[in-house]
Amino acid sequence: MITINNLNFGYSKHNLLFKDMSMQLSAGHIYGLLGKNGAGKSSLLKNIAGLVYAQSGSLKVMGFDPAKREPELLADICFIPEEFYLPSIKIDAYIKANAPFYTKFDYAYLNVLLEEFNIPISNKLVNMSYGQKKKFIIAFGLATQAKLVIMDEPTNGLDIPSKAQFRKVMASALTDDRCIVISTHQVRDLDNLIDTVIMLDESTISLKASIEEITQKLTFKKMKELDETVIYAEPALSGYNVVVPNFHQEDSKMDIELLFNAVIAEKKKLKPIFN
Amino acid sequence: MSNSFNFNRFWLLVKRQWLEFGKIYLISLLVITGAVIAFYFYALPEPDLHTTNLSSVYQHNNDGYVNLNFRLPLFLTLGFMFISIIASGYFSLLGQKSKAIIELMTPASTLEKWLCGVFYTSILSVFSFLLIFYLTDMLFVNYLQKIVGQISYTITSDMRSAPETVVLSVKPFFIDFFDRQEMQSLVLFPFVITSVFLLGSAYFSRFHYIKTAVVVMLFCTALIYTMIKVAGWLTFNKVQDSANFGFRSHSGEMLGYVLIGTALITLFFWTVTFFRVKEKEV
Repeated sequence: MITINNLNFGYSKHNLLFKDMSMQLSAGHIYGLLGKNGAGKSSLLKNIAGLVYAQSGSLKVMGFDPAKREPELLADICFIPEEFYLPSIKIDAYIKANAPFYTKFDYAYLNVLLEEFNIPISNKLVNMSYGQKKKFIIAFGLATQAKLVIMDEPTNGLDIPSKAQFRKVMASALTDDRCIVISTHQVRDLDNLIDTVIMLDESTISLKASIEEITQKLTFKKMKELDETVIYAEPALSGYNVVVPNFHQEDSKMDIELLFNAVIAEKKKLKPIFN
Repeated sequence: MSNSFNFNRFWLLVKRQWLEFGKIYLISLLVITGAVIAFYFYALPEPDLHTTNLSSVYQHNNDGYVNLNFRLPLFLTLGFMFISIIASGYFSLLGQKSKAIIELMTPASTLEKWLCGVFYTSILSVFSFLLIFYLTDMLFVNYLQKIVGQISYTITSDMRSAPETVVLSVKPFFIDFFDRQEMQSLVLFPFVITSVFLLGSAYFSRFHYIKTAVVVMLFCTALIYTMIKVAGWLTFNKVQDSANFGFRSHSGEMLGYVLIGTALITLFFWTVTFFRVKEKEV
């Protein structure tokens, strides 16, 4: 679905955000794009959506060059930005004006999603809270039936019940021909949702692996005493939360926040494990 | 479905843009209509009730047309303000990240988005202003005509073989406007204005109107200064042929040059705007 080859991108020529980045993303997956503030998560998503142009390298989305902004591709991309603007009109007027651009738009599915998110269709967009607006554009975006769903910090501004609703809706939105990329710095919001982790750090992809691969290669557990096998450890109530190589094929639940910190702090130790 | 242009998609875009742009447009149109009507009320000639000479009750020209000289500056000033403000606001949303994302991700081609901009700023705004001005003028012309149409006077002069009776009347603005040959050459000038301000709205991220106005002023000043200097340099110390002095326009030759010139300038600015929108990044 998305093929990135030797991508070089930066907001100035001398200070590149991505250097020779290469990656492939396929349909049927929910990717979690993680990284520190300023690592380039939003910029990578904008590159994929064709909202910014790379200095060099190639980027193809469903065979199209996103920088050309061709309507056929745009109709198959649902981009939910972190900062968004909705006009001062009623929901049904917004739907009437925007939905016809998407030939596969599913009106019935939109109604189901709006009901799930408790948003009355007679509401005026400008009178809704930030969280409600966000839920509305997520519902609208998913109803477009776009094959590529890109979300930049989608859980920002959502309350706890809404985050649970969001996870439920996103899990049900994944189909075999759809690729979902979610960027966030609130890593816990993606727990039990994503199936592949992409981590950006220092101008490149420091980790790209499925949850299955990660738990096959690493174990996340609690230890009272640290030993030489520990890759990364954080103090906890009765000992340490640790990341260790999974030498004995132990089953463990991935702690996404621990993994994130481990990748940032111990990149050199983790790199040989995933190569 | 074509990725460059599809009429159905273009029409959807026109309808979608109306939701946002339509409000600004209608409010501006309402304000400008009010301003035109107010100026007409204020500047409409009052009869001089103290005169005993019928022909002096209203100021008029030799053909008996009542003087309404305020109309031309009013038309040019308000017209410029209206079309330039409308054009300057159209692509201004591309300067705001949150609005630009929604705009650029809308499944329509750059050509359709650009054409929609040209339609709203150069077609709809120009012709709606002309219509508003025409209707307001007709309203006041008819009102005034009913009053002055009853006033007639007789002219006697050496030039006339017999005394002639003249009935006062009011000439509609656009007939008066196109009677002046120098004004005919300005027919395409509104499109130059809208194309420049449309480009400004796509080029600058903030303060589109001020920045565009300043750049245009600086450019025009530099152009005029250069032309004066170059013309001075070319003609300095040359012998003047008094028999062939100045430029004479034969059968609307000058009019043709001006029309072609303004059309080319408009097309140039539209083309630059298209590429500016195409290359816009968020």
